[in-house]
Amino acid sequence: MPPVEILIEGLTQSCILMTMAFGMVLVYSILGILNWTHGWLYMLGAYVVFFATTAAGIPFPIGILLAGLAMAVIGILIKKFIIDHAGNELYVGVATLALIGVLEGAATLLFTGDDRGLATILPGVLRLGVVAVSYQKMAVIGFTLVVMAAMYFVLNHTKVGLAIRAVAQQPVAASLYGISTARLSLIVMGIGCALAGMAGAITAPIYSINPFIGMSPQIMALLAIVLGGLGSLTGAIVGGLIIGFMNSVMAYYISYVSEVVLFALIILILLVRPQGLFGASAK
Amino acid sequence: MKKLRGLVTIILVAFMAIGMFGIASAAAEEMTFINVAVISPLSGPAGPWGQTGAPLYDAWLELFNKEGFRVNGKLYGFKHINYDSMNTPEGAAAATKRAIFEDKVKFIVGHWDATFTTVQAISTPAKVIMLTRNGNEAVAGGVYDAKKMPYVVFATPANEMFVNDIKAIVAAYPKYKRIGLADATVGKGVGVDQIDKALAKAGIRTHREWYPQGTKDYSPYITRFNEAGCDIIYLASDPMATMLILKQRWDMGFKHIKVGATGGMLSPGMYISVSGKDAAQGLMAEDGDITLIKKTKINPKYIKMYKDAMALVSKNTGKPYYYTDWTAYGPTHIQILAQAMVKAGTVDDPDKIMKAIRGGTFDTMVGKYTMSGAKTYGSPIVFGNPGLMSKMQGEEQVYLSESPWVPVP
Repeated sequence: MPPVEILIEGLTQSCILMTMAFGMVLVYSILGILNWTHGWLYMLGAYVVFFATTAAGIPFPIGILLAGLAMAVIGILIKKFIIDHAGNELYVGVATLALIGVLEGAATLLFTGDDRGLATILPGVLRLGVVAVSYQKMAVIGFTLVVMAAMYFVLNHTKVGLAIRAVAQQPVAASLYGISTARLSLIVMGIGCALAGMAGAITAPIYSINPFIGMSPQIMALLAIVLGGLGSLTGAIVGGLIIGFMNSVMAYYISYVSEVVLFALIILILLVRPQGLFGASAK
Repeated sequence: MKKLRGLVTIILVAFMAIGMFGIASAAAEEMTFINVAVISPLSGPAGPWGQTGAPLYDAWLELFNKEGFRVNGKLYGFKHINYDSMNTPEGAAAATKRAIFEDKVKFIVGHWDATFTTVQAISTPAKVIMLTRNGNEAVAGGVYDAKKMPYVVFATPANEMFVNDIKAIVAAYPKYKRIGLADATVGKGVGVDQIDKALAKAGIRTHREWYPQGTKDYSPYITRFNEAGCDIIYLASDPMATMLILKQRWDMGFKHIKVGATGGMLSPGMYISVSGKDAAQGLMAEDGDITLIKKTKINPKYIKMYKDAMALVSKNTGKPYYYTDWTAYGPTHIQILAQAMVKAGTVDDPDKIMKAIRGGTFDTMVGKYTMSGAKTYGSPIVFGNPGLMSKMQGEEQVYLSESPWVPVP
């Protein structure tokens, strides 16, 4: 059994990945595309909360919401002005990949490549016997629970949620019932990107902030949704949980080889079950 | 008669004026500038290092050029031309080709990033002298081959400096239990093996861990270090990893574990903002502040140059400048090059200049050392460096300890 601090860190990693992966799957299930800029919206979300709290003196929780709102707006703009004009899925993929360079370059120009941090937000640890849990990590876990509960409520108990589920399952039928798929696409893109931005914001006090922090969460979130099953929201949550814990626990036992083993395990799982754990079979 | 006297006076004054003008012209002698390429990352993740060092190198060079140096009676100075390697093979190749084939540069100074193989592959066939640092693959037994790379000078002995840093830490904390050495997997190579052997030979207890580049969660590695009995963790120049290990070990309750890193601190404020002020106290860093050095003799003229350069950059940028780990690179490389040119009696002939460098003794910003490589043409050419370590106290870097240079055998 690994030490408790490894499990706590695994849970923290899982929470971040769940939030990221949920947002990516939400976008995929409605738009049918993978948004490659997700990780870089995570990065920008971290910058928004950084400047909101340090430069504008805005309380951290409001800063997180601001980060979500800002990324929602950016996401909607990306959808409206790039994705909608890109043509087929291949071109959308290329366009959003190219946007990575734009977002990273713009962040470097605006904020420089220097590392920044928010160590003063929620400092301190809670001692539980020999184990220490930082308040910042507890905030990440708490935030994720709130977000997941909110998403569950929205998807299952609101008209917008009903529309999202309808379009995800039967887009043609949904449009015949008067649901505007174009408008819904924008809403979903906004929600998905907001989740990425808020994930970056809530983790800003734990890690450092620089223009290059988007790649790692992007890759890991992608692994989570592929493992969980592309298109499955439940799969995104379970995939995020598994990847987060595996990453932390394996690094403890096998050090730097853990990433290689993690990717190899994912490939093995997909060879046995190509649709992922919760995805629908192609047969 | 009066008129004639007046005319003679005018003519004499005219001649005197012309003569004085001629003397003044001779006194304001024209300096010939030799272009030197500085190929370093100015963009990308490693960009902050290149961007932070560049103003200091330029300020120092401005001071150096006030005096310049003479070769065969002619006055010379240097001019930096900065090229962005992006710390990638493609970026470094493009930068090096531009420097050598377009801008006709014959010397590369201050090189320190991970693109040694790429730069050297272009500069060596072109007989361009490259003053760089060793370490990672750039060591004998790695990709470096002294016979095949006769124009490479390890003017900054980064590999040996790492060992020296550890010795300085042990001098500061003689009751240490074990030193944990952390490095990104990209750093794996012959250079690290040599470091580990040298540390073992010196009787220093260590435990090594590798992490994937870009790791954010260091708790597994910190836990492994703690389980191995490490009370010090020392990193190989990875500021983000240093900040996160500093912070995470504090949050995990391992406050007894001290943390340090090579490469110097870009700014104490950066570490404090990421790690927290309490967690950052005692952070150890390789330091190039030559005003602090006690056990190695540094030319007082160069100490003044250091202070003036730091003051000039602080004035030009409008804010205090904290980065000190620049003295072992650009300025030292320039000084070696200038003194070698004087000794060789040429600024153009790379073979004569290399002959003067190999085994030569040079008085530099980091001290006076004799370059290795004299005995055998095929030996690596490695300079010296004092091992100075500082630590964070409050929001300042203060002197911690030193380990004077031991010549390469």
